Amino acid sequence: MQLDTLNLNYWAIAPELIVSLVAVVLMLMDAFSRKGGRQANAFVALIGLIAAFVAVVRLGGLAAGGYFGGMVVIDPTRLFFAAIILIVAILAVLLAGQFLGDEGLPPGEFFSLLLFATSGMLLLTAAGDLVTVFLGLEIASITTYILAGYRRYDVRANESSLKYFLLGSFSTAFMLYGMALTYGATGTTNIEGIRQAIASESINFPALLLLGAAMMLVGFGFKIASAPFHLWTPDVYEGAPTLVTGFMGTGPKVAVFAAFIRVFIGGFDVPIAGVGLQLHNGWIHAVAVISVITMTVGNIVAISQKNIKRLLAYSSIAHAGYALVGFVTGDFAPVAFYLLAYSIVSVGAFGVIQLLARAGDQKTMIDDYAGIGFEAPALTFPLAIFLLSLAGIPSTAGFIGKFYVFKSAWVTTPSLRYLVVAAVINSIISIYYYLYPIVVIFFRPLAPGFVRPRMQKATALAIILTIIGTFYLGLLPNRLLKSMEKGQPARITANQPGTK
Amino acid sequence: MVPLSWYLALSAVLFTIGVVGVIVQRNVIVLFMCIELMLNAVNLTLVAFSRFLGNATGQLFVFIVMAVAAAEAAVGLAIIISLFRNRETLNVDEADLLKL
Repeated sequence: MQLDTLNLNYWAIAPELIVSLVAVVLMLMDAFSRKGGRQANAFVALIGLIAAFVAVVRLGGLAAGGYFGGMVVIDPTRLFFAAIILIVAILAVLLAGQFLGDEGLPPGEFFSLLLFATSGMLLLTAAGDLVTVFLGLEIASITTYILAGYRRYDVRANESSLKYFLLGSFSTAFMLYGMALTYGATGTTNIEGIRQAIASESINFPALLLLGAAMMLVGFGFKIASAPFHLWTPDVYEGAPTLVTGFMGTGPKVAVFAAFIRVFIGGFDVPIAGVGLQLHNGWIHAVAVISVITMTVGNIVAISQKNIKRLLAYSSIAHAGYALVGFVTGDFAPVAFYLLAYSIVSVGAFGVIQLLARAGDQKTMIDDYAGIGFEAPALTFPLAIFLLSLAGIPSTAGFIGKFYVFKSAWVTTPSLRYLVVAAVINSIISIYYYLYPIVVIFFRPLAPGFVRPRMQKATALAIILTIIGTFYLGLLPNRLLKSMEKGQPARITANQPGTK
Repeated sequence: MVPLSWYLALSAVLFTIGVVGVIVQRNVIVLFMCIELMLNAVNLTLVAFSRFLGNATGQLFVFIVMAVAAAEAAVGLAIIISLFRNRETLNVDEADLLKL
């Protein structure tokens, strides 16, 4: 194999390189500076993430297709998902100063781990090969296991981290077995190569391909917390520090969705006769069923939750179900827009709860917030906006996200319209439990002993940005939607075939 | 020569033992070993396919899996130690502060 056919171009992985280099620099800064200032660390992390964002935007100028022998691809799916991940990471860095300061935790490793996790997620969105999918997934997961237990003197955080670790590695093993079987069946790990192998019907063992796809579906299902693989989510989200919950409920999920789209819509979706058709019908219907179960379970269980973090955990399960509805369209745009709307709002909500919950997450029950509505309006009004957006009230980001996903699914796949009906019914159910905290906060008598939390400037900035994002996407989404539709659908990725 | 199906059967059996172990066992260290067993079953599958197809990608994948498994082991043991410091137990059933 000639070196130039590999298409080595370091600009194609510039965002990943920048983020991981800055993460290393942060680690060294922490080791060599006498008193590692929180501000300095956060500042460097922020600069790195913004530089990576610029690099992602510049990726659009490179030719779409495969780089590094098809290991990494550039296409609209990657650009949009990478941008979402970087937005989440930037918001998390802005909120982190408050978290680390209130809890008195060391800042150096935190930012470094956060950036390593981000680099893994970026790699996951860029992956054009099952090897890179696995590598990106593990870089993102292993660092998030540590972040979940970052408050290491707290037993709840330990427990959350342990559960996340055990179930995360368990699901990774399933996904890996699926990848191995797919490799055996098609003779390649390149996603485009897999598509071509299915299209040319040169499959060694059709049964193994179906089994492999099923196991990868289980693996992805675990990682995006879809039912029936969602049982770890509430425990992990409750025990982890609130900021980390906000980060890991959005960033890794977005990245895994990107890889999910790439592997299933880009690789396994070849509806031609024989095993291709069988596979196509199999996974589309499996995803549809998982989607309905996920949103129903998430919403029904959320109704009875008394703890706001658990409530948002179940809500995130339900939202994963809504996002899966977008899968049947075979296009990345509805899913990407939905996840962008969800991520911004979700990080904002967890950012506010982090302040209300106090150091050590002492106050996370909804009843703890009774009557504080007008005592701390700078916190409660944003929280109310975020909850309404999660519920999908018009003029917020959540509404447009839901509308776009449901409409695309309704138009493109008439045979699966029951999915949209189920999703709309679920959205209506969900309004109840999103309004409940608002009612408690604004219309109950004030709970005794409430002290207004002190907000740092960076936290305020992050909350303002998320509110602007919520209304921008809710009121003026046209520009973004147009630029997304210009990008070709994920189904026609033009990456290179696999190289031996 | 041993046929491919034998390797695949062996790795499927190993993988199943790992899955059953994760579900049945209660000691964190044993759970951890079961997960490693699952990963190694996958490695066996990959190497068997790699040999069968005459294609080196599978072996390359195994290297990456091994490196990642080592990193995962380091982090996993650190998490177990930090839980043990606070709880003095290795039984996952006793890690029950967060209700399911």
